[in-house]
Amino acid sequence: MAEPARVAASEADLIALARALVAGPPADVRALLRRTRALPPMISTAAARLIGDALAQVWPALWRGSATGTGRPAAPRARFWQDHAPVGLTFSVATLQLLRWVLAGRAREPERDGGAAEALASEMPLTLGDQVMVYLALDATAGMAVQAQLAAQPLVRSAALAWLGFADRLGGPTGCEFDPLCRGAGAIVVEVLAPALARRWRAAELDKRGIAAPEALIALGAAQDSVLGGFMTACDRSGRRDLAGFVIDAAAPLVDRAIAPLPLALDPSATLASRSAARRAAGALLRGVATWAAWDRAHRGVRFIDDDYPTAQRLLARFEAISPAGAARAEAWLTELAALPTVPAGTVDAS
Amino acid sequence: MSRAIQVRVSESLTRTVHVEDGVVAPLELLPILPPARMAALLAHELAARGFRRDGRRCTRTEPDGLEVTLDLEAATVAVALGAHVQLDEAVELSAAVAVESDDQARAALRDRAHEVLGDRLAARTFALQRAVTARLEAKVAALKRELDAAIGRATVAALTEKAAELGRIEETHLDEAGNLTIRVRL
Repeated sequence: MAEPARVAASEADLIALARALVAGPPADVRALLRRTRALPPMISTAAARLIGDALAQVWPALWRGSATGTGRPAAPRARFWQDHAPVGLTFSVATLQLLRWVLAGRAREPERDGGAAEALASEMPLTLGDQVMVYLALDATAGMAVQAQLAAQPLVRSAALAWLGFADRLGGPTGCEFDPLCRGAGAIVVEVLAPALARRWRAAELDKRGIAAPEALIALGAAQDSVLGGFMTACDRSGRRDLAGFVIDAAAPLVDRAIAPLPLALDPSATLASRSAARRAAGALLRGVATWAAWDRAHRGVRFIDDDYPTAQRLLARFEAISPAGAARAEAWLTELAALPTVPAGTVDAS
Repeated sequence: MSRAIQVRVSESLTRTVHVEDGVVAPLELLPILPPARMAALLAHELAARGFRRDGRRCTRTEPDGLEVTLDLEAATVAVALGAHVQLDEAVELSAAVAVESDDQARAALRDRAHEVLGDRLAARTFALQRAVTARLEAKVAALKRELDAAIGRATVAALTEKAAELGRIEETHLDEAGNLTIRVRL
């Protein structure tokens, strides 16, 4: 029987963090991040192998994660390995950098060493595996101060998947290309994450109703608009409009229950210009629904004899959760958000 | 033994401040007739309300400086209000210091006076901005009602023209709720 691999204590923490990010639960990540520790500049081959073993579990972890949270997926789905041929995920040194940065904790306590926070950046483009780990790290640190610090790091902001899942946390327009997420393994990752993406976008939609600072809402809207615009254009270009289905799943319950993304608590001392811009920005997800509605109209025109008839039929069925009536309601909300603001009588001092 | 003296510094500041606020919103004009004709009908209604047409734009400047600009092609309305005022502030500060540190004390008092003046002007500028915003909000609410009425009348005119294209109009009735009935003989 082979002897268990021996690693240093700091390496054991790195391995534990990789396992916790991949397999959860988030409490394990929280426990690991409670203390800061010094990490040597290199890791042993045994530690590298064990981290590699943990990363090899990413696919099943993604599948499990997509089905947890607020509930099961809306519709029964085949396991993704039944729908797709096996495809490997590659990881680069950026994943190790990410693990070390999260674990080192120096960024969380920049004053500890009397210096500035160490930036997390990568000179090489991120692989899809790296992007998945960035996504999982942002997910596992939800509700912790480190998530905001992580979201500000150049390496994280260069991950298109991070933008897709956490546009509300990253803020500002993205410069990422989304085409790699619409083909090959990238498309499978997005497909698997779709229920989680829908939950996250719906939660952001509800949160924006309570935002008071117009600048915050404008930044959030810019991020969401650039992400949805870029991603849906990429889906269209790749012939994979179905990948944008999470937009429907995020918006459908809100449209159904008439929960408009009207910002109800905007700071009344802000200028009317900034409040109007904030109201327009609040409609980012509705603009995604409007894009889907335009696609839906096009799908209705696809004839039985056309090559893409089966795809159009599938997408028509997909959009039924919102339906043309729901799309009209979303359109009316967008009009309301963009209209001249009305002020209840007696609330304005016009002296 | 050093002697104590009273140092007094007076500073005043005059600054011309311009604050403005504005909003741009789409017009909800139904496409009953071709865009150019709809624009002409709306421009006609706006002219009756004091707007001047200049190409694709209709503008009106009110006595209090409110500028309303409608872009008939883009179907947008822009409303802006500004205020241009001269703010004067003065401050006098004093301190008891040793005679040999007179120069340093004066410099420190002068710096402090500049800070106080800057803070006061910033507060007055902010208050002015809020006042402009509040006036604009009140104006926008009234303007919205006025534009809704103008667009409503332009829509009625467009529907009447459309009906006339279909046949001979025998009767037109607009009730108090704004419902329009046009009886046409084909």
